[in-house]
Amino acid sequence: MPKPRVAIFEFTDCEGCEVEIVSLRDKFLLLEKRLDIVNWRLGQENNQPGPYDITIIEGTPITQHEIDMLKKLREESGVLIGLGACACMGGIPGIMDKDQRKKWYKKIYGESYKPKGIDALPLSAYVQIDFLIHGCPVNKNEVVRIVEDLLAGKTPKYRGWSVCFDCKQANNECRLVNKKPCLGPIIQGGCEAVCVSGGASCYGCFGLCQEPNIKALLKILNQISDKEEIDRLFSMFLKKTEEYKKIIKNDWQ
Amino acid sequence: MIGNEFIAKIEGHGQLKINWKKGEVKLHVFEGERLFEGMLVGRTADEMAWITPRICGVCPTAHNLASLRAIENALGIEPSQTTILLRELMDCGQMIQSHALHLFFLSLPDYLGIDRGTELAQKNPKTFKDALSLKEVSDLIVKTIGGRAVHPMKSVIGGFNKVPTKIQLKRVLAKLEKTEKAAENTIELCAGIEWPKLKVNLKLVVQKEDKIIAVSSVNIKGRKSSSIENYKRDVEEEIRDYSTAKFGKYKGEEMLVGSLARLAVAGNYNKKYKLDFANPFYNNFAQALEILYYHQKAQDIIRELLKKRMGSKLVRPAKNSPLRGVGVVEAPRGGLYHEVYLNKEQVVIEANIITPTVQNLTSIEKSAQALLKQSKNRSQEELERLLTMLVRAYDPCITCSVH
Repeated sequence: MPKPRVAIFEFTDCEGCEVEIVSLRDKFLLLEKRLDIVNWRLGQENNQPGPYDITIIEGTPITQHEIDMLKKLREESGVLIGLGACACMGGIPGIMDKDQRKKWYKKIYGESYKPKGIDALPLSAYVQIDFLIHGCPVNKNEVVRIVEDLLAGKTPKYRGWSVCFDCKQANNECRLVNKKPCLGPIIQGGCEAVCVSGGASCYGCFGLCQEPNIKALLKILNQISDKEEIDRLFSMFLKKTEEYKKIIKNDWQ
Repeated sequence: MIGNEFIAKIEGHGQLKINWKKGEVKLHVFEGERLFEGMLVGRTADEMAWITPRICGVCPTAHNLASLRAIENALGIEPSQTTILLRELMDCGQMIQSHALHLFFLSLPDYLGIDRGTELAQKNPKTFKDALSLKEVSDLIVKTIGGRAVHPMKSVIGGFNKVPTKIQLKRVLAKLEKTEKAAENTIELCAGIEWPKLKVNLKLVVQKEDKIIAVSSVNIKGRKSSSIENYKRDVEEEIRDYSTAKFGKYKGEEMLVGSLARLAVAGNYNKKYKLDFANPFYNNFAQALEILYYHQKAQDIIRELLKKRMGSKLVRPAKNSPLRGVGVVEAPRGGLYHEVYLNKEQVVIEANIITPTVQNLTSIEKSAQALLKQSKNRSQEELERLLTMLVRAYDPCITCSVH
């Protein structure tokens, strides 16, 4: 059987998820042997046009050029995968809304500047995405698991647990019990709870878990925090999700 | 065709536009505007140091450290001696991470007759092993101190959420002692490369403590020095209609920042190796020399840390702090400036960031034009290839430049 033709693209972003993939080192080499990377601008010069069996896209499509390219890649790709929080949820750039962007173009680039950007939205705002590899950055072991599933002809599955489970495995004290804000209970696991282990809050870069009980978490957060802080917690990565707009906004009103 | 419109093997999306008749070269930058300076407004100082690493996945630690320095200056915080050492250690890891990635995966393939860096595994397994061990040890340093190889979270205002144990530090030290040979091999590899010829008059600019120091690429002896506090007077940014990145200049002149500039000013490398400071291609060689320098520096720091007691008690803000601070670090690609204004609740009201690549962009264009002028009897195809190699030698991070 021929090796699957794989393409890796990135839109506007920090490229940290691709750096994570390179950090796999020997494991990357093993994966690479099982596929044919025919297009990867960051890694090679000899890049071939589509169609591709698997296309992995990192970053947020901010410019019209990127949006057009995304649509073309959807047509040319068997499986289309989002890599990292920017691709999956709009990521950190998603903190800023479209209206605010207009003000900041002028402030940063001057009055006469013609902006190239439109809005910072996830890939799924424009085309259908087959699977999301979450994280800011992604967890490299998760990348291996998901790519291996794809290579075995399986449909990869999302982790069926929240960050709390990862936290227990990492032997962390519960932040919420210690009255420190955290989004862990409603966020998909698989990150090895690396932020909480490092003494930081979970800001939700792995996206919401299945059936997240957001209301229950808000109840706890309201007891230990205030509205501004809670909003900052939810808006770091989740601002462009439907849940942020619908549930959270309504609940607070 | 999708994929070949942007320069391959550099971070971010740029394109060289060459006017062959006029001998003009322009670097068009296509990244979408990211507006980080706007995003930070309304966020807390804590969150600033969490958000700015996301400007760049290749040098996130440098952004974290620059933000922390700016914020701590604004809040009148003086970090402890061990915090300073741990941060310097993180910085050593960051330098090796970034330089190794650039050399082995982006720039050296041009000289080694391969395309994708991993082809080295077949073609030159020994060198590839060196590349992987340098990546491994540098990732380990940053992970041990910062909590993660990309986007650290342990390193916060006033110190560290958690400090490494001495056992962990000893493990890093043992690894560094082993990989030093790989750093030496990398220098030898670069010493054997014949770099393309080029001579450009540029200002080489570095930061040293609270000063900005500039020397001329054609005469590194005379130096100008000015205060970092007034960085905006020295480093000006221009907006150009063909780029979403601004173009920086030092007092109106094209500037080069990064490894080559640092070695020109500090001179801290083995002089048996000859560096040509007026030839930006030598930035690759300078990076290799720095990999060894930061390797040795990291070991010294760890040995010193092992003698000290480390704690994770965070230093609190001073009363009557200025609420405005500038934080500057030498990032892998050169001087990185973060400036912040906070309100009394420690919420950001204004932020300004100047990245190294912004400062290098004008000089990339100048060097590219010089290369066209100085390379005779070459086909357009060969010249395009050389120009692309020149851009790569600068190790531009277009991603950072559009922040």
